[in-house]
This record gives sequence, structure tokens and C-alpha cells, in this order.
Amino acid sequence: MSTAVEVRQLSYRYPQNGRLALDELSFSVAEDECIGVLGPNGAGKSTLLLHLNGLLPEHAPAAPNLWIAGEPILSRNLDLIRQRVGLLFQDPDDQLISATVFEDVAFGPRQLGVEGAILKSLVAHCLAQVGLSGFEERQPHRLSHGEKRRVCLAGVLACKPSVLVLDEPTSDLDPRGRREFKALLQSLPGAKIIATHDLELVVDLCSRVLVLDDGKLVAEGPTVKLLSNEPLMLAHGLEKPHSLLHRHPHGPIAGEPENGGTDI
Amino acid sequence: MHLPDGFLDAKTALLSSGVAAAGVTVALRQVRASLEPRQMPMLGLGAAFVFVAQMLNFPIAGGTSGHLLGGVLAAILLGPGAAVLVMTCVLIVQCLMFADGGLVSLGANVFNMGVVNVCGGYFVFKLARTFIRMEHHRAAVFAAAFAGWFGMVLAAAVCAGELALSQTVPWAYAFPAMVNTHMLIGIGEGLATGLILLAVLRARPELVVNSLQSGRALRGRDVLYGVLLCLGLALFVAPFTCSWPDGLESIGQRLGLPAKTVVAPLSGYRFPFLESAAGTTAVAGAIGTVVAFIAAYILARAVVPVLGTSKKDATSRH
Amino acid sequence: MQPPDTESRRRRLHRASPRLKLLVTLLFIIPTALLPRHPDLLYLIPAGILILVWPFTRMPLSHALRRLWVVEVFILGIALLALVSPEAVPIFFATLFKSNLCVFAMLLLTWTTPFQDILQELRRWRFPSVMLTTLALMYRYLPVLREESRRMSRARASRTFRRRRLAAWQDLSLIIGQLFVRSADRAERIYLAMCARGWK
Repeated sequence: MSTAVEVRQLSYRYPQNGRLALDELSFSVAEDECIGVLGPNGAGKSTLLLHLNGLLPEHAPAAPNLWIAGEPILSRNLDLIRQRVGLLFQDPDDQLISATVFEDVAFGPRQLGVEGAILKSLVAHCLAQVGLSGFEERQPHRLSHGEKRRVCLAGVLACKPSVLVLDEPTSDLDPRGRREFKALLQSLPGAKIIATHDLELVVDLCSRVLVLDDGKLVAEGPTVKLLSNEPLMLAHGLEKPHSLLHRHPHGPIAGEPENGGTDI
Repeated sequence: MHLPDGFLDAKTALLSSGVAAAGVTVALRQVRASLEPRQMPMLGLGAAFVFVAQMLNFPIAGGTSGHLLGGVLAAILLGPGAAVLVMTCVLIVQCLMFADGGLVSLGANVFNMGVVNVCGGYFVFKLARTFIRMEHHRAAVFAAAFAGWFGMVLAAAVCAGELALSQTVPWAYAFPAMVNTHMLIGIGEGLATGLILLAVLRARPELVVNSLQSGRALRGRDVLYGVLLCLGLALFVAPFTCSWPDGLESIGQRLGLPAKTVVAPLSGYRFPFLESAAGTTAVAGAIGTVVAFIAAYILARAVVPVLGTSKKDATSRH
Repeated sequence: MQPPDTESRRRRLHRASPRLKLLVTLLFIIPTALLPRHPDLLYLIPAGILILVWPFTRMPLSHALRRLWVVEVFILGIALLALVSPEAVPIFFATLFKSNLCVFAMLLLTWTTPFQDILQELRRWRFPSVMLTTLALMYRYLPVLREESRRMSRARASRTFRRRRLAAWQDLSLIIGQLFVRSADRAERIYLAMCARGWK
């Protein structure tokens, strides 16, 4: 399996106060792998995500620290990187800027030169993928929070990225919205990097987990093993998810369902 | 101060639309030249902000409430060019989405509230900052409060001029009525502008575009706004101010009774050497300006603690 | 009651070309606003036109009255000043009538034409792109900011036990100041989100 994302010794200081936000981070993500990024607030999760599609640092470094499918992130290929890496922001209102759903989903492809009938069918396809067929003429502020999230995802998918990066995708969703979004994510191919506090989501979707604290990568490994390590979790502002409370780290206890009891 | 349709005649509507278009063009040019792409979304959000801020009710007396206009506030927070565009967009939306303010008089409204109010207030803000020796935040709040008041009064004067030029209302009546009422309304505007600026300075001072550190002199392009301002004053105010002594006394006497119902108490004073109501208003205006100046100063001293103590009670973020 | 948006295009006039509606409104308002100062039988023409057109727009009377009431304050305020001229009273009523006719025409326009359509029209008329972007973003984020200001006001009110005017001004100023800070932060995030999808 080839590497979808490679990060080598990535560091970043906030320009306002010089504080170290990321400290020599190194990890890699394989094609079709889904990894979770965990950590307390302020650990640097969102900052890391912004690096993954070149939005940070403000001025691209001379020597690259990030590679997307083998392509280094440099100032000259930012356009390519931004198309390859789809970033879903935490607050859908920040991403949904256009007057109608159609306009917003079409925003990305239009930058790439797609127009006319092809654009229309692309938008329809992406909306169908997220379960919002027929929403083209709807206005953003009339949509529910979950629907806005899904429109944002459609807008990101419309750029045909090979890597999906998601910042707190299930925050503020009601249980049904959360289940639907989780099922949606499960259906999408390609590498996925999910920064989240939703530990149950990580258990269900991610095969591997990174734990960040104070800008450093403090732990990395298989999801169940790492999340079952209660001392480690508590030391970094997290906790052992309920679904693993009665589960052995190396496999299910005889008689327990594979997923530890969580629903679809 | 939103002028509805039907009060301006053709020539005034055209003239005011012309100067408004000139003002907006200058602002566009400045914004295109100086605004980074990163700051572009702030224009739209700034316009939405001003619109929403205008909707909030400031309680006055006995159930009545006033509203912020926000032109001077926008100029201080976003810079004059951006503020002109922001106010213009707010007025356009108010006209074309809510039918607030006329379509034919949109040009006049844009000039009064988008150019005169913004640029006049901004000018005064910068001047006040340059000449007053006060601790940093205090100076800003003082200048903002005074500028907020002044910008309002200036816009009212130009509005009166437009009404007079259209011969809808004679100058001798329009000027006192508009200026006096807005000298009162302006108090609220100045107070709100000062307090809101203080709130922003305490929370995130780096967001305020206007360079508050240097009480620097006005820059080159700011002069262009000044030119437009003078043009507007020349077109709408000057023609009338020159004709005070002529034959207004008779009108003044006929106005005697209705005038008192709308004219503020101060203008009730009859100075022996200025018989006309307009002349009296001008003197009252000068006195009012001094009073507003002092009031703004006192406000800033009262409301803004000295830098040493403000650090202690500053609210921490998050 | 809100005027209909792009979603409700059932009524005939609502589907008509926005360009046509804008031009017609302009062509109506300009002569009406510039009608002679003295009341005239001419005034009946625009009034008649409005009465004829109104049923087709299905604009409810309640909506019209509510909006007219807001504008009436300004109209009366200025019209009262006109009372100074010799032929005061008829001119007062004439100005009042003219003004209200124009406002009514604008109400019909805003009721039948969603703001997005008007923006599209302005784009076709080569309105400056900076202003178009500003108007579009403003339209999009008005409800968002309004909701934020409501939430802040409600939160503040739930901890306000004694209503004092000066305190209310301070609270309002804090809320508006906070609204500005949040808007600036949001603008920054919007910029990043736009860049993330290839905007330059």
C-alpha cells in the first residue's frame, strides 16, 4: 500500500506569540487508511490539519515536511495539494459561503474549470453521495446543522480529493445526525484523517490513532490497544471509551459482539 | 436620516448620486489597492455586522429607543475606504431588500451616511487623536465618541442642504431642525461608538485596523476623502450659509411657533446680532461642538481606566 | 412574515425577469418622486397603477402596513417641515402621498424579487465585483450574525436582575463589540475555507 500522507518532523510556531504549536511531528497514513487524531483542546489538532492542505504555514518553507501521495507541499504546487486534500472545517457556517447549496458545492469545481452540464451532474452526484439529492436550490441558513455539514462534505467531495481531512465532524450533531454522518464516512473511499473528541467514532471508523498533547505526538498505534490504555488516555486529557470498558485490548471477549456493542 | 423618495427634486437627486458615486469609486480604488485577499471576507462580514448592530435597541427615555448608525465605528474598525463600501452595501440592502429608504434618494443617503458621516467622522477622529494627549485607549475612546457625534451632525447638515436645494423645505427651517435634532441623537451615537470601540480594544486590540499607536497626520489618500467632503459641503451647505442675513427675518418670525417644537432648547436663545433661526443654530452648533468635545473627554476618563489597572481587570480570552 | 425566496416561485409575478421588475420599478418611482409639488389629478395615475398591480403580487396588507409604519416616521418628520411654505397644507399631503406611493412600489418589488435575483441583475450590469462579493457575503451571514447577537442578548438578559439604562448601554456595547470580534474571526476562517477549495 502506498503512502497517502507523510509527515516528517513538522514544527510550527504561532506568529502572534511565538509559542510552539507543533513539535517535530512525524507520522504517515497509508492509502485507504482511516486514522484518528486525538488530544485535549489546544493540543494542536486543528493546526496540524491546516498544514495538511497547505493553508499553514503562511509562508511555505524551503524544505518540505509534508508529502501528499509522494508530492511535497511547496509554494509552487499548493493548488494541486488543495485539490488532492479535502479539508472539512469544524463550523459548517464558515465553509458554506454561497447563497444556495448548488453554488456552494460548485465553488470548488468551478475553480478547477468545470462548467455547464458537467458541473450540474457533478453537483448532483456529490449531493446524492451525501444523501441530499434535490437540495440544489436550498438556502444555507434554512438547513439543519447536520444538513449543512453534509453540504460542506459534498462541496469537498466535488473536488475529487484523494485524502479527506475532517475537523470535529460530529460535533453539535444529534444522535441520528451523528449515526448518519458516521455511515456516510464509512462509505467513502480513500485515506481519512479525523481530528475529534468523539472517541466512539474513532473506535468505529479508525484503525489507527495519533495522540497529540501540547504539540507533540505522544502516542501512536492501533485504535483499540491505545484507547484501552486508560493511564495513557487520562494522562492526556482523554478517557477510555465506554465501548471498550469491557473489552480486552487484543480482541473481543468471548460472547461480546465485534464492535463492543455500538450500533450501526 | 434615511431619506424616502419624494423629497428630493431631480437635480438634487442627480447631484447627490454623482458625489456618492465619486465617493464610492474613491473607496473602491483604495480598497482594491490596499486590502489583502485575506481581508476581503471582512468587508462582507463587516457589512452584516453593521446591519445587525443597527437593529439593536438602545433604550433612551420612557420606552423610546435609539439605534446605532455605525458609520464612524466602521471607519475606525475597518478603515475609511472599507467603511464607505460597507455602509453603501448596508444602505443598498436596506433599500432593495427591506424598502427602507428611497430608490431615487439612495444616492443622497449613500452620500450622507456612507461618505459624509464616515469620512467626516474619520477625519475628526484622526484630528482628535493627533491633538489630544491622553493615555492610549482613553484617547481612542474620546476621539471615537466625539467623532461619532460630529459625523452625525455633519451628515444632518448636508441632508438639510439637500432638502433645501430641492426646495422641499427652506434652509432656514431645515438646517435648525435637522442639525438640532441630530446634535441630540448624535450624543447617543457618540456614546455608543466610544463604548463599542472600548469593548473591541479590551478584547482584541489588534483587530482595529486604524493605527491607534501613532497619532500620525492624515495620509495622502485620506485627503481625497476630505476633498469629496468639501465638495459635498460646497454643493449642499455653502450656498445657503451665505444668504443668512438676507430676508430670513420675516420667515423667522413666521416660523416662530412651529420652529420651537422641533428646535432644541439651546437654539431658543436669541443672540442680539443674529436674528435668523439658522444663524442661531450655527452658534448653538459651535457651542454644542465644544460641549460634545468636553463630554467625550469626560466619558473617556470615566470609562477607561489607566493602562496599569486595565491589564488587571482585562478579561482573559477563552 | 418574510418575502418569498428562491424556493417559492409559484406566483406569476415572482417568476418574471428581475431585470424587468427592477426597470419597471425605477420607471415608476422616478416620475412619481418627481411629480409636481402641488397635489394634482396626476397623482391618481401612479396610485391607480399600484392598485392594479398589487393583487398580482399577493403581498399581504399586514406586511405592507408594517413596513410602511416604519418608514412613516421619517416621512412625517420631514413632511412636517414642509409645513412652513405658504401653501403648506396641500403640499404636506402631496408630499406624504407621493412618498408613500414610492415606498409601496419598493415594497412590491422587494416582495416579488428575492435579493439573490437582484444581485444577479447587478452582476449583469457590471456592478463592481468587490461590492458584489460584499453584498453576497453580507446576505449570507446576516442571519448568522443576527442569531449570534440574539444568543448573546438572551444570555445577558438571563443574568440581568435590575434594568438600568446606563448598564443596558454598556451591555449592548459589549455585545456589539464581541459581535465584531467574532465576525472578524469568522471572516478569517471563511478565507481559509475558501482557500482550501482553491480560491485565489
